[in-house]
Amino acid sequence: MSKPIKSSEITPEALYLSRRRFIKNTLTMAAASLYLSACGNQSPASPTALPTSSLPLPSAGASADELGNNLTSYDDIIGYTNYYEFSTDKNGPARLAQNFKTSPWSVEVGGYVNNARTFDMDELKSLFDQEERIYRMRCVEAWSMVIPWVGFPLHKLLDIVEPTSDTRFVRFETLYDPDQMPGQRNSFFPFPYIEGLRLDEAMHDLTIMATGLYGRDLSPQNGAPLRLVVPWKYGFKSIKSVVKIDLVGEMPTSLWMASGPSEYGFYANVNPSVPHPRWSQATERRIGEGGRIDTLLFNGYEDEVASLYEGKDLSIDF
Amino acid sequence: MMKPTRGQLITAFLCLIPLAFLLFEWQNGSLSANPIEALTQRTGRSAVILLLASLACTPLRRLLGLSALLPVRKTLGLAAFGYAALHFLVFAGLDFEFNLSWILPEIRQKFFIQIGLVALALLIPLAITSVQKLQRSMAGNWRRLHRLAYPIMALALWHYYLASKGDILLPLIYLAIFAILMLFRIPPLSKISIGSKPRALQRLNQFLLS
Repeated sequence: MSKPIKSSEITPEALYLSRRRFIKNTLTMAAASLYLSACGNQSPASPTALPTSSLPLPSAGASADELGNNLTSYDDIIGYTNYYEFSTDKNGPARLAQNFKTSPWSVEVGGYVNNARTFDMDELKSLFDQEERIYRMRCVEAWSMVIPWVGFPLHKLLDIVEPTSDTRFVRFETLYDPDQMPGQRNSFFPFPYIEGLRLDEAMHDLTIMATGLYGRDLSPQNGAPLRLVVPWKYGFKSIKSVVKIDLVGEMPTSLWMASGPSEYGFYANVNPSVPHPRWSQATERRIGEGGRIDTLLFNGYEDEVASLYEGKDLSIDF
Repeated sequence: MMKPTRGQLITAFLCLIPLAFLLFEWQNGSLSANPIEALTQRTGRSAVILLLASLACTPLRRLLGLSALLPVRKTLGLAAFGYAALHFLVFAGLDFEFNLSWILPEIRQKFFIQIGLVALALLIPLAITSVQKLQRSMAGNWRRLHRLAYPIMALALWHYYLASKGDILLPLIYLAIFAILMLFRIPPLSKISIGSKPRALQRLNQFLLS
């Protein structure tokens, strides 16, 4: 989907890093002026050296999304993740998911379909061209990233199994294996993780099954080996480590709908004018950058997806 | 200004450790990819823990006969206020950049923020009247005023509970500790004391008081 980009347009890594350092120092000085006065004279910020080895450049060469937002660094994408199956601390999954077994892996696709079948992960990767899609990812917690995913549109997979005319929704399920995923023993949440989309949302070309990011295979903490990515919805809709996809007639109840019905709706479309009781949805913080930015309706994909919700009151169907 | 006791100096030092860690991690960039969120959560948690610790002083003093905990209570309370104020400054200043057009809708829309603000506002008169002179001149009124610490603790825990996403284990643990500390304020638990102090405790008390 992305046209080739001249190598001169790629942000050099050194420039990329110096930008980050500038932002960091600005923030540090802001913090210092806020409260260091109470703690004696600590001089603000000698520039800290950042590790340079582990930052790959994006595979296809693009350094920004179509709106000009810079890609979030690979380290931040793999280091800061919400994956409650491993830990409720966003820094935890990177450590706790290290030994997660992603191979062999198969995905059972069934329900209201003509060709129910189980796909092996290798088969899925060879059946469909792996495309790079640079998407904004907006978490319901009011932070966001720009991620170069690798994957394939979900509609290609659904076309193979042929949904019947009874299908109205698609239900996704994450692996349930508390031995590997210690967070699934947390009794505050009704695991396994369930998510759902309306069939037309699932068939939309923006909806992909991701297998990688930054040109590499997905890391376990990002939902390896196969996860959903629905860029116009809050991040929790993009279910990780999927083992089961069912085409169904009734609206599935997602894990978050079950644990907080007044807070999390089925649609969970990014919408700055529908506030959440805990987090501002009007603005967001882009990870790795300073300051707040305005949150866009449908996360900036309004032109592509607004027609799916014509006639709906988005504050009721949130 | 009274000379601080050794117990107060030790307490003040311990209270500064979480702040030192925060500043150190901020400096070397290890405060997660979302440092402002980490600052918000950790200053808030420090304030809650120190408030609980200040509420533990009176029961422990009675139980163990450690009069040195009385001045320590003041240090803990002031430190808790300090972290609560920092928590607010991180929210209003670092997170929302002192931009009232962002902050006011946040406050208007979010009940948990309103609760937190009430708790912080109620802490202010307690911090001001912690000055020794005022404490003496206010006498009985001082005691009555400082009973506000109980509703403040309750509000702070409510705020913490509402701000938690699903995983409410920590706020529930703190709530349980708070409940136990309150039980030790009413008979028969408030009457319990170990009686004659072992020598080690007497010496500890002397050490902390000096």
